[in-house]
Amino acid sequence: MNNEAPQAGQAALEIQNLRKTYGKTVAVDDISLTLPRGGFLGLLGPNGAGKTTTIGCVVGVHKINGGSIKVFGHDVVHDYRDARKVVGIAPQEFNADFFGKVRKMLDYVAGYYGIPKKQRVERVDQLLEQFNLTKHKDKGFNELSGGLKRRAILARALVHDPDLLILDEPTAGVDVELRHELWSYLQQISKEGKTILLTSHYLDEVEMLANRFAFINDGKIIADGSKEKMLAGGKKLEEVYLELTGKKDAV
Amino acid sequence: MNWIGLYTIIRREMERTFRVVIQTIFSPLISATLFIFVFGSVVGSRIDEIGGVPYIVFVFPGILIMNVLTSAFSHSSSAIYFAKFIRSIEEMLVAPLSYFEIMLGNVLSAVVRALVIGIAIVGMGILFGAVSMHNFFLFFIYIIAIAVVFSLLGIITGLVAKSFEQLNILSTFIILPFSFLGGMFYTLDMLPETAQKIAVFNPFFYFVDGIRFAMVGIHDSNLFVGAILIGSLVVILGGIVWRIFYTGWRIRE
Repeated sequence: MNNEAPQAGQAALEIQNLRKTYGKTVAVDDISLTLPRGGFLGLLGPNGAGKTTTIGCVVGVHKINGGSIKVFGHDVVHDYRDARKVVGIAPQEFNADFFGKVRKMLDYVAGYYGIPKKQRVERVDQLLEQFNLTKHKDKGFNELSGGLKRRAILARALVHDPDLLILDEPTAGVDVELRHELWSYLQQISKEGKTILLTSHYLDEVEMLANRFAFINDGKIIADGSKEKMLAGGKKLEEVYLELTGKKDAV
Repeated sequence: MNWIGLYTIIRREMERTFRVVIQTIFSPLISATLFIFVFGSVVGSRIDEIGGVPYIVFVFPGILIMNVLTSAFSHSSSAIYFAKFIRSIEEMLVAPLSYFEIMLGNVLSAVVRALVIGIAIVGMGILFGAVSMHNFFLFFIYIIAIAVVFSLLGIITGLVAKSFEQLNILSTFIILPFSFLGGMFYTLDMLPETAQKIAVFNPFFYFVDGIRFAMVGIHDSNLFVGAILIGSLVVILGGIVWRIFYTGWRIRE
């Protein structure tokens, strides 16, 4: 588990002038964003806006072309070990060994984080139980239903008990039961002090769960702030979203 | 150093190897056994001694090293390519593992698999009376160094390949023909004069000849040149792989 607890008052995530390009295509263009410790941020934007790329830069899947990212004060490039110890990611697309067994997958990932065997076994069993995966633990990942796969990916993101949890479209393609379970779980860990970054196209769930929103479009942050500020005047999140992304007239 | 992480990479890769044990272990073992039986026992019994040793003893080091290097190459190339293809490589990329640890974990797991294959083939060779040992220390160093060279080459291939077909190009067009033409079954003086001159530029010739010297005590090549070549390949390919991981080429794009 993470032994280097973040210091109080430190921002969980500080993105400064982040730039990410793929060849000549600019995916993320000079964005800056701060997520306070314990905050619950909904990162919103249309498909291809740059949400997943930004997340990829935070967790180390993508190389950064410019700017900097700090997670609880740890630079994700220069101090990547400490930065990665405190971040957990559940990506939008399943990126697991299809043929590997669920229990093994969690065990291996816990091992990558340097967790000793005894703690690893306890943590994996706890997560299997928590996500109702115990009876599926010896099944191959490809044998699981879509909902069970999503549970396994979420359990994997939490295996090292990260302080910042990043969930990229965690409820895409899952049934109502899991969606509700996930909502209450996220509310619970948010109350316990975890910092959460959530992307979702279900604006109602983001509005219900998050206490901050950031809107990204064409690789740029077009607005961000607290829930109170963004939804001032009793506006619905969907209305704000459509206004900001310029889609209101099209609807 | 993230020792648990490094050990986990090796453990995971070994479990992946044993998940498909027929393909990864039995297939090369059966192939090597057939080579030993056909070329060593059946054909070899009708061939005079070479360098003062029976043909089966002469030919065994070549069969051994061909399987060791093929196993190391297949292991690391398929591990990296498959992990990249299904994106499970991201499990390592988001973890607190250094580029060096990821590279080392993949190389060591390939070397372990190559050693498992090597030990099994030596065991089979003993049954056929094909094994002799001139210098065990040298033998061990050669086996490890050649396995490292081909695991590094496998990592590069796994990263470069964009399809399963491309993954097999190097083994089909380089490794297999160059192994066979690297003196596995013959000594240099059995070749025509021109072919002898060309053969000294085949790196596989030095791999086979080095192992043959360590096992049988006879050699065709300059062993010093062979040792320098293998050592240089470890350093150069290691540097290339480290650079690839460092820059994130085809990994963190």
